[in-house]
Amino acid sequence: MPDVYNWHLGRKMTYPYPEAHPTKQFAAVFNINRCIGCQTCTGSCKATWTFSRGQEYMWWNNVETKPYGSYPQHWDVKVLQLLDEAHQAAGVQPQWDHSQASEQAPYGVYNGLTLTEASGPNEQVLGYLPAESEWRSPNFYEDTSTGYKGGAYGLSPDGASLPEHQAWFFYLMRICNHCTYPACLAACPRKAIYKREEDGIVLIDQERCRGYRKCVEACPYKKSMYRGTTQVSEKCVGCYPRVEGADPLSDGVPMETRCMAVCPGKIRLNGLVDVAEDGSWVENPKHPLYFLVRMEQIALPLYPQFGTEPNIYYIPPRWAPRPYLRQMFGPGVDHAIERYTAPSRELLAVLQLFRTTQKMIFRYEIEEGPLVREAEINGKPWQMYDDTVIGFDAKDREIVRLSVVEPLHERPMERLNSI
Amino acid sequence: MFTRSRLIVVAVCLLALGAVLANAPLVSSQGLTITAAAIEGDLPLDAPDSALWQQATAVEVPMSAQMIARPIMPETNAKAITVRALHNNAEIAFLLEWQDATRNDSTLSVDAFRDSVAIQFPLIDGQPFYCMGQQGGDVNIWHWKADWQAALIAQRSLQDIYPNIYVDQYPFADPAVETEGDIYLAAYTDLDYLTAEAVGNLLALPVHLSPVEDIVAGGFGTLTSQSLEGQNVQGYGEWSDGVWRVIFSRSLTSAEAEDVSLAPEKLYSVAFAAWDGANQERNGAKSTSQWVSFQLAGAPGTGAAATTGAAAQAPLTARVAAIQPTGFNALFWGFIALLILIPLGIGVVMLYFHLGNKP
Ligand code: SF4
Ligand code: SF4
Ligand code: SF4
Repeated sequence: MPDVYNWHLGRKMTYPYPEAHPTKQFAAVFNINRCIGCQTCTGSCKATWTFSRGQEYMWWNNVETKPYGSYPQHWDVKVLQLLDEAHQAAGVQPQWDHSQASEQAPYGVYNGLTLTEASGPNEQVLGYLPAESEWRSPNFYEDTSTGYKGGAYGLSPDGASLPEHQAWFFYLMRICNHCTYPACLAACPRKAIYKREEDGIVLIDQERCRGYRKCVEACPYKKSMYRGTTQVSEKCVGCYPRVEGADPLSDGVPMETRCMAVCPGKIRLNGLVDVAEDGSWVENPKHPLYFLVRMEQIALPLYPQFGTEPNIYYIPPRWAPRPYLRQMFGPGVDHAIERYTAPSRELLAVLQLFRTTQKMIFRYEIEEGPLVREAEINGKPWQMYDDTVIGFDAKDREIVRLSVVEPLHERPMERLNSI
Repeated sequence: MFTRSRLIVVAVCLLALGAVLANAPLVSSQGLTITAAAIEGDLPLDAPDSALWQQATAVEVPMSAQMIARPIMPETNAKAITVRALHNNAEIAFLLEWQDATRNDSTLSVDAFRDSVAIQFPLIDGQPFYCMGQQGGDVNIWHWKADWQAALIAQRSLQDIYPNIYVDQYPFADPAVETEGDIYLAAYTDLDYLTAEAVGNLLALPVHLSPVEDIVAGGFGTLTSQSLEGQNVQGYGEWSDGVWRVIFSRSLTSAEAEDVSLAPEKLYSVAFAAWDGANQERNGAKSTSQWVSFQLAGAPGTGAAATTGAAAQAPLTARVAAIQPTGFNALFWGFIALLILIPLGIGVVMLYFHLGNKP
């Protein structure tokens, strides 16, 4: 099998096909800290793509409550366990060597086996096919925290405090990661799955698919789903008509997907990043996604050790136990939380851009404003400035302008009661 | 005395070598010939119990797991398939019987796979690769599916697997059309919401006219359904007491380039494959036979081969060459074979001399 370079792992890995990259990649940053678990995203996808017969159980977007919730049930625990068994069989102690971190390997180098490397001679990808019962109850364990071991009635007399809450949960909002090295694509014996050159969106050819469900078995995130009424598998399409700018509302420029654009928690920022021939992101410090993922490194891939190089990046929750988060988002967790907790002047401005326009933002500019607050965070002085951030669309037209301090509008007397 | 022990050692080693080779991915079905007996009148197209089948000689074709291309399932369930064939100078019918402990005839549920069986004919002279042909060596495959068969008998809906399902409405599905208000079988007024059907995927059709799909292939991953108009293979299958009995039938000749045409007194090749849905067998995870010779008997009632011998059998070397190694697999198995054979050879030589040196 050829080797491909996976920058999440800082090394080459085996993959059934030689390296080839799209010119742009569909990507997003999800800020777990701000999600309110409202499932508006989930409903919007359902109302757009999966309301038909045979799609009842499909939630291309789902929000699960970690650590117990998962759709399909226990997907991540099961894949982690499979990998663990493979590591034990191979006598490998998987580790991240953060000391080898570099421009090409921002999280250091991972020496464990990926799912394509641990698959053995008979399969392309290590995986499992969820049983029908595991797809049921998609929101099981919603809002269920870990148990509090201290005070009476499970209540803490002192409340919770950072950096780690004793009783904790967080929402994990998930869509297909439109992976750089999709496991679904690797496993399909019919080559019915393809990654689009123009935006890296991964699609299942509805004509070539024969419902073998090898992709369902292989995708570690379980985002490829089988539709019994058409005997063919389907998956998140990345709302490609919107990304193409084909939606009548879009004015001919790429738009954020449905699940991103509806988010009331304003936790999502969706865009397209330029990809170089070697698969790295073309340096573009004024692109909000490049800035968040590559420069500030506050948003991290979900289970990078699976080896698919997923393209949805998460700002990890500040209050959850670090070993759990490191297992989920890799070794960059501590750095990401530290930066997010005391954001730099520029980061604070860029964080305002989330969910403020339906159009994808390709560039931002900052106009500096006055110092409005000084504080101490984690023992260090911190300043807040009322800067203004301006977002531009694919045609470099201004589409949004926001200040860090939200403007206050006072309702005039005569409209006091109006809604 | 020691000559005898040496002979025993050599015999044991040969046996071991034989065992290693027997473990090789294929069981041989060379030398088998299936002859379609000629009868007069109608063929028993949907009657596996018909006495007419007794006129055909049953041939048991051994099968083993497909071990060449990933995904590979080394333990597939069908080990042999019993084949009978009849023709009446216009049509041909095959009766295939094989053991399968469970009937799996629905693919509605996300983790349900069908039982199925297939017959394969080369579309070129000679024998292309026995697993789905090869580039420049297309094959015509007739694939009978237990779920298609079941749907022909009674149309299935989600209500069959989820008796308590309740859906208010499916937008763009019109329960008034054809299904007497049954929302779970209602036709769609806009096919775009049945994406696979909208793009013409044969599998996605709500109703099939035959339980057999007529397919053409030219190597792994190339399986392609023939057009709807080109679907001309009929079939019928029944399961009882752990045995599937499936009949395939078609006219002897076909004008389509993607179809095999059969004439009496010519030697053809044919191969078989079976999938056990309960074992999640699908795609390359299947039991398959090698090429078997096949011919139509000339005159009614003879039931015997008019031509015999291995005339149409390509030599084994040609067959091996026809197998396009999938880089990794060929290397891997080659390497494993070397790993086993080299120490075995050294061991034999060492033992030979060791025993030979004994007084
Ligand atoms: S998340 Fe799964 S379905 Fe989506 S591209 Fe990656 S492997 Fe494929
Ligand atoms: S990107 Fe579009 S298709 Fe994918 S989960 Fe979000 S709304 Fe659904
Ligand atoms: S819409 Fe936004 S806030 Fe609501 S659950 Fe989805 S990601 Fe969270």
